[in-house]
Amino acid sequence: MKWIDVYLQEVGRRLPEKNREDILLEIRSTIEDMLPEDPTEKEVKDVLQELGDPVTLAHGYSEKPMHLIGPRYYDTYISLIKMILPIAITISLISLVAENIIGSVEEGSLITMILTIIGEGIWRVISVGMQVFFWITIIFAIIERVDLGMEDEYPGPQRKKWTPDDLKKVAHVPKKRAISQWEVYGAFLWTAIWGTVYFHADHLLGIYENQGEGLTFITPALNQDVLLSYWPGVVLVIGLEIALALYKLLKKEWTKGVVWFHTIQELLSIGIFVWIITDERLFQPAFISYISDLFGVSAAQVENGLAWRIAAIFIIFAVWNIIDGWMKYKKGVKKTKLTHEFVK
Amino acid sequence: MSQLLNSLLTEQRRGNLTLAVLSQLRTPQYGYSLVKRLEDSGITIEQSTLYPLLRRLEKKDLVTSSWDTSESRPRKYYVLSDYGEDVFQTLKKEWKKATNELFRLLEEENNEMD
Repeated sequence: MKWIDVYLQEVGRRLPEKNREDILLEIRSTIEDMLPEDPTEKEVKDVLQELGDPVTLAHGYSEKPMHLIGPRYYDTYISLIKMILPIAITISLISLVAENIIGSVEEGSLITMILTIIGEGIWRVISVGMQVFFWITIIFAIIERVDLGMEDEYPGPQRKKWTPDDLKKVAHVPKKRAISQWEVYGAFLWTAIWGTVYFHADHLLGIYENQGEGLTFITPALNQDVLLSYWPGVVLVIGLEIALALYKLLKKEWTKGVVWFHTIQELLSIGIFVWIITDERLFQPAFISYISDLFGVSAAQVENGLAWRIAAIFIIFAVWNIIDGWMKYKKGVKKTKLTHEFVK
Repeated sequence: MSQLLNSLLTEQRRGNLTLAVLSQLRTPQYGYSLVKRLEDSGITIEQSTLYPLLRRLEKKDLVTSSWDTSESRPRKYYVLSDYGEDVFQTLKKEWKKATNELFRLLEEENNEMD
């Protein structure tokens, strides 16, 4: 009987704990059914041969999927990793540069700074990459398992039956009007970059001077405490930008909804930007005096002029962006009408 | 060639197997008696496939099970539930229809070749 016990042990340790005893009892009774009275060792081995590899037998009882991420989610999983990985790496590299520029003031050497950034950078890219990969994988592995349990009980969300008329909704996006995946991706990246710069502005934005040993960070331009006091507005803008990018990703073309969302988002962003930059406590006194020395004007003049000059540039860009969005939308509409007439 | 053939055959048999098992469970059967009955009808089934299959059928409420401990060794008996009977009848009807169609299709192809 020793053969049977070892066989059952081999099956048992691979079975789900819940039904282990029950399943093992059934297999044992089956084996005994197959054996004659007082079986010889050969007869026992033949029966076990017939039941086959204990690993295969045990896997038959497994209720969990035998893969981490199945075909249903694999595509989404891969494209999400491709999207998030570069963004996460960009953010971490910008933060790294921000932290090390201050360090270089003490050490004074550009070479040291660059070497630190490269060395630290490689290590950080690897560790951030691993983190992104790890967490996304974990989340998808959980989704795969949670969802499977529900599928057993319900037929799953009934998708509306596809008809050729559905093609109308997606039909023919004219090229001028189309929003490429790269555009959306660029939007995500841009949000990530300026968001990171915002939170590290005291280390990144400021006066750099060549003092013979390369660039040295002299003084930050902005008062970080004042800057950060505007965080709810900034977070709102970040949220809107991300929402718009996702909306674009969904629509894939400049629709009326997209172009209005875009316009509102631009107006709100520029509003908040101007509000922040015209705060008179925003610029560091050291920065103001540096600029006034540079151009030979009084500090008061700099204070009055600088903020509004920067604001003006950004307002022009914002207005251009809004016009550009509407133009893309209009072009698309004209062209779509033409193709529809053509079809008739 | 043979490996591909094996996997295609396994795929082909999988659906039929459920139907064959359901058809034998209108009277209570335990694992080995079921194997015997199927083998007597010329259907060979890997035992490592059959026992897990019974568990899955039970989990989906197509069969119910009970332990009989009155004999020398305990045996787990499986029998079709009312719901299982309904499903079995529908499957049977569909299978007959499908095999008839397939049979005709393959016959036609035979004739063309002659």
